[in-house]
Amino acid sequence: MQPLIAGLVRNRKALVGMIILLIIVLIALAAPLLTEYNPAARVGRPHQPPSAEHWLGTTRIGQDVFARLIYGARTSLAVGFGAGLLITVLGTALGIIAGYRGGKTDEVISFFTNMVLVVPNLPLLLVLASFIGQASPLVIAIILGCTSWAWGARVTRAETLSVKQKDFVKSAEMMGEPRWRIMTFEIFPNLISIVGINFIGSVIFAIITEATLEFLGLGDPKTVSWGMMLYNAQKASALSVGAWWDILTPCFALALLGIGLSLLNFAVDEIANPRLRTGNSMSRWSALIRSGEGRL
Amino acid sequence: MAFLLRRLGFYLAAFIAAATINFFLPRLMPGDPIQIMFSSTGTELSAENLASLKLTFGFVDGPLWQQYLTYLKSIFTGDLGRSIKYFPLPVTEVLGHALIWTVALMGTATLISFTLGTFLGILAAWRRGSVFDVVVSVGAIFATSVPAVVTSLIVLFFFGFTLNWFPTGYSADPALDPAFSLTYILSVLYHGILPMLTLCTVLTGGFAVTMRNNMINLLGEDYIVMGRAKGLSDSRVMIWYAARNALLPTVSSLAIAIGTVLGGSLVTEVVFNYPGLGNILYQAILARDYPVIQGQLLIMTIAMLVANFIVDISYVLLDPRLRRT
Repeated sequence: MQPLIAGLVRNRKALVGMIILLIIVLIALAAPLLTEYNPAARVGRPHQPPSAEHWLGTTRIGQDVFARLIYGARTSLAVGFGAGLLITVLGTALGIIAGYRGGKTDEVISFFTNMVLVVPNLPLLLVLASFIGQASPLVIAIILGCTSWAWGARVTRAETLSVKQKDFVKSAEMMGEPRWRIMTFEIFPNLISIVGINFIGSVIFAIITEATLEFLGLGDPKTVSWGMMLYNAQKASALSVGAWWDILTPCFALALLGIGLSLLNFAVDEIANPRLRTGNSMSRWSALIRSGEGRL
Repeated sequence: MAFLLRRLGFYLAAFIAAATINFFLPRLMPGDPIQIMFSSTGTELSAENLASLKLTFGFVDGPLWQQYLTYLKSIFTGDLGRSIKYFPLPVTEVLGHALIWTVALMGTATLISFTLGTFLGILAAWRRGSVFDVVVSVGAIFATSVPAVVTSLIVLFFFGFTLNWFPTGYSADPALDPAFSLTYILSVLYHGILPMLTLCTVLTGGFAVTMRNNMINLLGEDYIVMGRAKGLSDSRVMIWYAARNALLPTVSSLAIAIGTVLGGSLVTEVVFNYPGLGNILYQAILARDYPVIQGQLLIMTIAMLVANFIVDISYVLLDPRLRRT
């Protein structure tokens, strides 16, 4: 755990990712302080370009785009981290149990894991969400959590198989520690980097998928979120009528959040797998960014 | 051979699982499942049409297992019901026509990005720490972490609306009749460039990173050092010693990536108004055309399973150890 945190502080990718994430979280928390507008209310004339009054313009029905952007960040973050947590808990628990117990338990869990992996995820989610009707962010987070744990379970199981051969696990078994204790206190702490990668990856996946489901018209129209912003802008043909601010604003927000989280993810991966670390390239990369060529 | 047969059995089980979800989902929802599935504004279903639709989806008198068997039977005889929105067209016909466009678009994009990504990954790993490596790695992080819907919209905005270089919708000029003529084929290619560009942007980075990381893990192996000590040329060691072995896990990541490709192509088609599965599905969702929505899950599952099976076969071809057992 400690080398992981120390590594994160020293890694530049992690630093940039962390700063991006922190800024978005702060903006989401401080949303009521940053705008006077209600994100759901009609506060101006339709499709006004950005101005001093409406920093990012207005939507087709006259809502303030900036207010929707910063309040929408709350939804994206909540769904992302909520679903990400659920996916990680399920995947990690199933992976450790399958890997450690072995035998019949392993066969059953692995069979289901592999099955979930080959049934295409987005089409399955579309069927689920369409039967639920107008899915609220909470519902989307729950169905994402319940359908997307398979990758994590597979990776965690593979790693558990190698950790359980280690001497400290054998000695804990000799001393008669109960199995749940070995799984939670001997094996789990040694999988922390895998769990971290799984968690961040799942958060990215959940944020992207929530936006996609809502963009495809499966969300609840009353929700203020980046996905609904995309859906409404697309439905109002924002691009063809030239209202680029309406559609590009949630686009850039989603892209920025995705990039921030991915940088964090790659950093954890590099720290966990030292061969991938390339100190030389990182210093050059930061030089690129400083000179503006990295286009961050 | 035994390996491939085992995989086939597994795929059959996975397909039945997808069908089972389709069967139980309407029955688990609160309310009358028949009401939910077949009531749609706009189309009036006659009593006999409704009866045949009910039969297809297993709404027969009898216990649940009998209903389930009826549903499985209709699926395995290729009957996915009829679309509510495009009544009386069968779901298989509605989806089958769209599937051709999707497979063509998706297949080409996967092929291009897999080749390009693998190649970039090999070179980046070989020159680890160089400017080239940094550009590839950072570019890959950016490209893969941006949602497909965002990439599509940005590409559409810049190349379609701002620069006006490419058409902003359809798979070909709507004024042209589909035919094997040069003008029509050129029009299809011209209309396909933007969706293709989007899909390749979304996919290439992932393949490049997987390949790069696999390569780097292999470059420390003894047989690489041995190859160099023998005085083999750089390119020979890079391609025939390192890349050949690093390709194996990349191919299995391809199987998992196919799901992402499917999802990405759904969204891309909606944004570019491309007449593939994604667009049909989008219309079906807006009209709550459940037979079509359910049918796409089955068809996409089959597509995914076929793709996985092709990967299995290529695995056997690439890894001699699997052929012997």
